[in-house]
Amino acid sequence: MSKTTITSASSRKLNLKELFDYRDLFWVLAYRDLRVRYAQTFLGLLWAILQPLSTLLIFTLIFGRAIKVDTGNIPYPLFALCGMSAWSYFAFVMNQSGTSIIGAQEMIKKIYFPRLVIPLSKSLVAFVDFGIALAMTIVLLFYYNIPITPSIFIFPVFVLLNILFALGVGIWLSSLTIRYRDFQHIVPFLVQLGLYASPIAYPAALIPEKYKVLYYLNPMSGIVEGFRWAILNTPPPGVYSLISFGLVFIIFFSGLWYFKKMERTMADLI
Amino acid sequence: MEDYAIKISDLSKKYQIGQLKSTSLRESLFNFSKTKEENYFWALKDINLTIQPGEAVGIIGKNGAGKSTLLKILSKITYPTSGKVEINGRVSSLLEVGTGFHPELSGRENVFLNGTILGMRRNEIKSKFDEIVDFSGVGNFIDTPIKHYSSGMKVRLAFAVAAFLEPEILIIDEVLAVGDADFQKKCLGKMEEVTGEGRTVLFVSHNMGAIEKLCTSGIQLNNGMIQTIGNIQEIITSYMQFNTSSVQRHSIKERRGNGALIVESLRITNEFGIEIHQIKSDMNIRIEMDYSIQNHAFDFSRLIVGIGIKDFNGDNLLLHHNRLTGQLFNNSQVLGSHKIIFTLDNLGLNVGDYSIHYSVMQDTEYIDHSDQVLTFEVTSQFPFNYQELPPKSSSKFLRRAEWSIE
Repeated sequence: MSKTTITSASSRKLNLKELFDYRDLFWVLAYRDLRVRYAQTFLGLLWAILQPLSTLLIFTLIFGRAIKVDTGNIPYPLFALCGMSAWSYFAFVMNQSGTSIIGAQEMIKKIYFPRLVIPLSKSLVAFVDFGIALAMTIVLLFYYNIPITPSIFIFPVFVLLNILFALGVGIWLSSLTIRYRDFQHIVPFLVQLGLYASPIAYPAALIPEKYKVLYYLNPMSGIVEGFRWAILNTPPPGVYSLISFGLVFIIFFSGLWYFKKMERTMADLI
Repeated sequence: MEDYAIKISDLSKKYQIGQLKSTSLRESLFNFSKTKEENYFWALKDINLTIQPGEAVGIIGKNGAGKSTLLKILSKITYPTSGKVEINGRVSSLLEVGTGFHPELSGRENVFLNGTILGMRRNEIKSKFDEIVDFSGVGNFIDTPIKHYSSGMKVRLAFAVAAFLEPEILIIDEVLAVGDADFQKKCLGKMEEVTGEGRTVLFVSHNMGAIEKLCTSGIQLNNGMIQTIGNIQEIITSYMQFNTSSVQRHSIKERRGNGALIVESLRITNEFGIEIHQIKSDMNIRIEMDYSIQNHAFDFSRLIVGIGIKDFNGDNLLLHHNRLTGQLFNNSQVLGSHKIIFTLDNLGLNVGDYSIHYSVMQDTEYIDHSDQVLTFEVTSQFPFNYQELPPKSSSKFLRRAEWSIE
């Protein structure tokens, strides 16, 4: 028989076993989000293709044709799409999990479950858009006849870094938003700013040397470079990107710590 | 192994008044002053309680007595300020039915969603799925998005999921207050089954009938503290005395009439037929008379049933009977028990004490009549567009009225 003790002392320990016990809830919440997202839309899942496609078109016209950004021997649409796939995953998770706890307040006030399930389930939902962006990338790879090189084996590492960073920011925002609703308004701003502060529409090589440290304080800089290295066999991310990767872990674990700290008071605050 | 299911020691919970909600960033950055102690209130204070396995405990108390806070702590939704709770066994708590239900999803999808949220595994839900659908009576609509369901169907489906939880300890908050009477009966039956299976059940409700039926022992909470613990009947009796209703039903002793028809009891209800205990001036009320026909020494279609209201001094304020509005009863009634309903819109009485009397007559002959069968108090409150109340000596009634200059 299971034994539970409830006291005022807050437990900061992450209960991985409990999270695992609630694994069905991840799936069911992710499934709900997916089903609801395109409910009663005429085009349905086609929207998930049209949205990145239109961004890609705009980028290609402005940065590829008009400004003629130098992307080496990589065709511009492929170059941009590769960066966009990483970015869209991050932006989606940050956006969705940032407001996820507030959005689930009715549930939180009525039933117990590890609250972390809510932002975590958003990282599952985002895989749909991520998958679509990757599939489009593969199509372009064939179209431009660009070979896949052994560097592709490093790809999972960067996907993992992307997930950790997206979740780290998402978890931070979801718990901060409970206390300070201001963060709801910061997220769209971050999404807009981040898109141009990361090497998505242009290569990081364009950034002058003296600003590189600052530039790589944005973990997406390192991650996007990593994506291009793995998929397009561009030069590997430079030494500055270590700043990016280090920050990913700092943000993720500090996010977990803050979330656990806030978890017990969530039902009282929202 | 310990012999208790739940053991609560010195449990207290305090809430902040006012700033209970989230603050803004600015307040947090620029407000360094500490919140003073008087801005807190204790929702629960020094609760000590041990519940044995298999015990079914009813928790009663007025709104704000701390019932919900106690259940929330036991359900791990909120945490105590001090004290300790130890629980032996798997807990399921039902503070609401249909948590997480999404209108766009089908009944089937919502069963899985809600079941998972309640802590069931997917396979568990799968194996019970047919029973759940069966119990809910939703039938063929199970694959329809629940936004097309009636509210009754939604509740039935939601309760059906919850009814198939198999925890060792079940915590239930006022969830029976929903659904129609038939379904409520079905749910009560299901819950009796659950308590009969030797599970530990904690049950909060304002429905004393349900509590009496399901629980063996009871706790009365008042202002966050335990007022009494004991046998459920004692607790209910003590609670009823403690919370005197403003309506008093008197047993009908002195009757006049030939007794061919007897009025068993009267009660005041709202428009939906639910008995009310607090009467306010602008209410639409119904007075329901339960009667039984003893013999057929009268003609139903010539029956005159009247209800009268007197004030505390015995002055008649109102009399109404069915012939006044030409609503004669038809003659098809047979022997047995039935009820006659008198509907009165906008009661309109000034605050104070009143009594109700009734009479049943045929032509000029009394069949049944009794005085003071019901007394009630109209409680102080401003009805209609009143800003203050006139003294009773100059205005026995409060009506909707307006002033203007032309």
